[in-house]
Amino acid sequence: MISLAARDIAHGLGRFVLTGLGLGLLLGVTFSMAGIYRGMVDDAQALLANSGADLWVVQKDTQGPYAESSSLPDDAVRGIRALDGVAQAANVTYLTMQVQRGETETRAMVVGFEPGQPGEPPFLIAGRLPVRSHYEAVADRMTGYQVGERIRIRRHDYTVVGLTRRMVSSGGDPMVFIPLKDAQEAQFLKDNDAIVNNRARTAANPALNRPGVPGLLDAINATQTSNHSVNAVLVRLAPGADPDAVADTVRRWKHLQAYTVAQMQEILVAKLIATSARQIGMFLAILTVVSAAIVAFIIYTMTLGKMREIAVLKLIGTRNRTIAGMILQQALGLGLIGFLVGRVAAELWAPFFPKYVLLLPGDAARGFAVVMVVCALASTLAIRVALRVDPAEAIG
Amino acid sequence: MKLPRPSLRQVLIAAAVVLLLAGAATVARRSGPFAAVSVTVVQPAQADLAPVLFGIGTVEARRSYLIGPTTAARVLRVRVDVGDVVKAGDLLAEMDPVDLDPRLGSAQAAIERGLSAQRSAEAQVADARSRQALAASEATRYQDLQRQNFVSPSVVDAKLQALKSADAQLTAAEAALAAARQDVTRLGAEREAVGRQRANLRLLAPADGVVTAREAEPGSTVVAGQAVLKLQQPGSLWVTTRFDQARATGLAEGLPASIRLRSAPERALPGKVLRIEPVADSVTEERIAQITFDAPPVGVSTKEMAEVTVALPVVPKARVLPNAALKMHQGRSGVWLLDGERLRFAPVRTGARGPDGAVQVLDGLPGDARVVVYSERALNPDTRVRVVERLAGSAP
Amino acid sequence: MNAPMSTRPGQGIRIDQLRKRYGSGDTAVDALKNVNMTVAPGEVVGLIGPSGSGKSTLLKCLGAIIEPSAGRMTLGGDVIYDDAWKAGDLRALRRDRIGFVFQAPYLIPFLDVTDNVALLPMLAGVPNAQARQRARELLDALDVGHRARAQPSQLSGGEQQRVAIARALVNRPPVILADEPTAPLDSERALAVIRILNTMARQFETAVIVVTHDEKIIPTFRRIYQIRDGQTVEEAGEGRDI
Repeated sequence: MISLAARDIAHGLGRFVLTGLGLGLLLGVTFSMAGIYRGMVDDAQALLANSGADLWVVQKDTQGPYAESSSLPDDAVRGIRALDGVAQAANVTYLTMQVQRGETETRAMVVGFEPGQPGEPPFLIAGRLPVRSHYEAVADRMTGYQVGERIRIRRHDYTVVGLTRRMVSSGGDPMVFIPLKDAQEAQFLKDNDAIVNNRARTAANPALNRPGVPGLLDAINATQTSNHSVNAVLVRLAPGADPDAVADTVRRWKHLQAYTVAQMQEILVAKLIATSARQIGMFLAILTVVSAAIVAFIIYTMTLGKMREIAVLKLIGTRNRTIAGMILQQALGLGLIGFLVGRVAAELWAPFFPKYVLLLPGDAARGFAVVMVVCALASTLAIRVALRVDPAEAIG
Repeated sequence: MKLPRPSLRQVLIAAAVVLLLAGAATVARRSGPFAAVSVTVVQPAQADLAPVLFGIGTVEARRSYLIGPTTAARVLRVRVDVGDVVKAGDLLAEMDPVDLDPRLGSAQAAIERGLSAQRSAEAQVADARSRQALAASEATRYQDLQRQNFVSPSVVDAKLQALKSADAQLTAAEAALAAARQDVTRLGAEREAVGRQRANLRLLAPADGVVTAREAEPGSTVVAGQAVLKLQQPGSLWVTTRFDQARATGLAEGLPASIRLRSAPERALPGKVLRIEPVADSVTEERIAQITFDAPPVGVSTKEMAEVTVALPVVPKARVLPNAALKMHQGRSGVWLLDGERLRFAPVRTGARGPDGAVQVLDGLPGDARVVVYSERALNPDTRVRVVERLAGSAP
Repeated sequence: MNAPMSTRPGQGIRIDQLRKRYGSGDTAVDALKNVNMTVAPGEVVGLIGPSGSGKSTLLKCLGAIIEPSAGRMTLGGDVIYDDAWKAGDLRALRRDRIGFVFQAPYLIPFLDVTDNVALLPMLAGVPNAQARQRARELLDALDVGHRARAQPSQLSGGEQQRVAIARALVNRPPVILADEPTAPLDSERALAVIRILNTMARQFETAVIVVTHDEKIIPTFRRIYQIRDGQTVEEAGEGRDI
């Protein structure tokens, strides 16, 4: 037995392939949307994994440092280092801000880190790690910076000495790593006008500006411009230590909040990404319905154009099953072409998206199954019409 | 059985499908999670390492003086302004003496009066002495007469008593003279004191220098210890530099340094480490050192920021790796080695670090080790790797 | 699978008192009242009647497309209907034991000429190579073998009609029902079609019923059935040689 579906497709190959292409582009968009969601989740996972931390210690009653702002005194880290089970603990700061290169500004997450401690970029793709204690930076490739370029963060110029990749914030902004002290200054030190205004205000306050106590005013000004806060402490645990137990100790005895990897994932993925996930889910549903409608329409049209042949086939003794199978095969064939075109298209245009698009083989397999099911269901309309044809219509 | 001869169309269709599937498979292998991770590999090199220490400092004057009164007073006259060069002993400013001049006059007058009193006491002493002499001669004469029984014993007693009385009067007069003399001394000291106080209100330059601040104008009241003028010794500028405690190994007096002023970053001024402060800053975790200029710099203001690079002794023929190769794995610092196709983590001990990212490896590396420097993501022992010359996106 | 060949090829077709009623009660209409027909193997008879006479209904009953109301149909020696269907699978019946030739060739446009004909044996389970072989033989016999690999759209009308006839014959059915096979053709081609039908009928011992009102070919029939108001009347035809 020959495949009627194959013959029919071959007979109108151009139209079939073009339709498959069109469907494929639509499916490509669908896969890209799924890839965008996966990319967002992967961004969050990458953020957590690349920080190299087992625990995040943040300000009490906040969900920071990524989902919410958090501020800790920078000497809290000493007490945490002394806890049982803690191998390394280090201060880090995070601030999303504009970084200038020449005339252009890029939005980046500026990370303050201490060398050799959690928070340092875990691998480089070019250049080197900072050697000086100030004014050297490592940037993510997504910023577009090259090794040796000068960038400006707040008041100081930094030299980009190293590049890395996949270091992004949960919002998809690329990271720029600078020494912790520089980052603290960038984050907490105000601009010159504000500082001058503050000094004037303090000098005008008679309680603070006491002539009988020389040096008091200078001391107060100094404290106002000093920065001893950080956003979080990253903790790396000793082998065999229980993250939940250590987190609990921090919460109880240090009056700070601590999150394990699992809890951070919950915060980032479940809470931060949840709205976007729902949005994308809606899109996927709509696109699936649209794709189903298109396939149904195409197959229906193809079937309508064959009504007489179907009547003849039925008359000369073709089983209903065979005819239904022909239509179903055509729908599945269309789906197959659409799937392949869509998958390849999504792969080809993924790098051009501003945020990370992650196309997983598992998603492709699931997408394939869904496409096949949708095509099969979409073909039922045409099949119903075909089966209802009265063979007697072949006879005038 | 004869196989059906496929038509050209069938062949084309089959070819297209195979191509599409192959494309999809290649895409999955190249960029999905199954893809091999690109890495670059380097072998340890031998080089002379010139490690440096880097610190941020402010330009300060070695000696600076605060010129002000020792009591609360009002400024009468200020004779110099900011930027004036003065010599030791120059009169810089005068405070308002208020009542000190009349007090001085009063003290002087008191001395005059004391001297007069002293002269009067002297006269009285002379007077008492003469009477005493007379009483003494009379007593002797009457005693003589009494021995010849020319006078009654009571007359002799009377004369003896008169002698005693005259003795006592003489002693009293001498004591009064001594008191008058002491009084003069006392008044002299008081006048000296007022004189010194008056002198204190004349602010003299304690040393050669340059006036750097004029803090109070004539008519304003200042308290004791408050500065009216600030003075600095020119040519005694140094840079108070802060070095991260964790990265200050090897800081020693006498090491050569290179100073770049924030206002003139393209010029590197040579200098030397003069002194390392015995007390470090525990809050910022920095060590403080004083760096002198080899040649006195011109056009420099104090409190200017400067970047200081201290050159540590060269480590000759060190075995070096780029610092981008150093990674943390399971709590230990080391490098990833490529044994044939497999990755192996080797903990290493590091020594000196050069200014361009070269790190001395002390032990832990076999001689012909192939060390992974750059990678596209974090590595673990069963990552599949592919060695390339340069990673994508690392250079334009 | 049933053997595609008729078990008794030489038995022709026989209709006894066939009746077809549409509807029920007061609105019932008897499209066929009392149809009697016998066609011998190898014979080509004409079925003539005005429109509305029940021609189409009779054809549909003969073709096992609709179910008669009463009567008996014997096909190739087997009783396929006796007041109720006696043949189990009507589709198989149509496929294996009845050949259809229509006004228009109604070839499947996306199959080539050979496959159009070979489709029927393939549907019956014959291996593809064998089915194609049989189709090729038939096409050669009908003088269109040289167009075996062509698409139907590339053939002339006459060639297409011959392919359609080959299709009707390929399973060696005991009866062929031809519905106005010559209506769109000119007299030369029409006679050619009738000639072929006669030749094939004799060669394969197939009974052929040609429904027609084409004056060009009616004279060629030796026997004619007239149908009027649902009843058939047998007549002698001219039997002109062609």
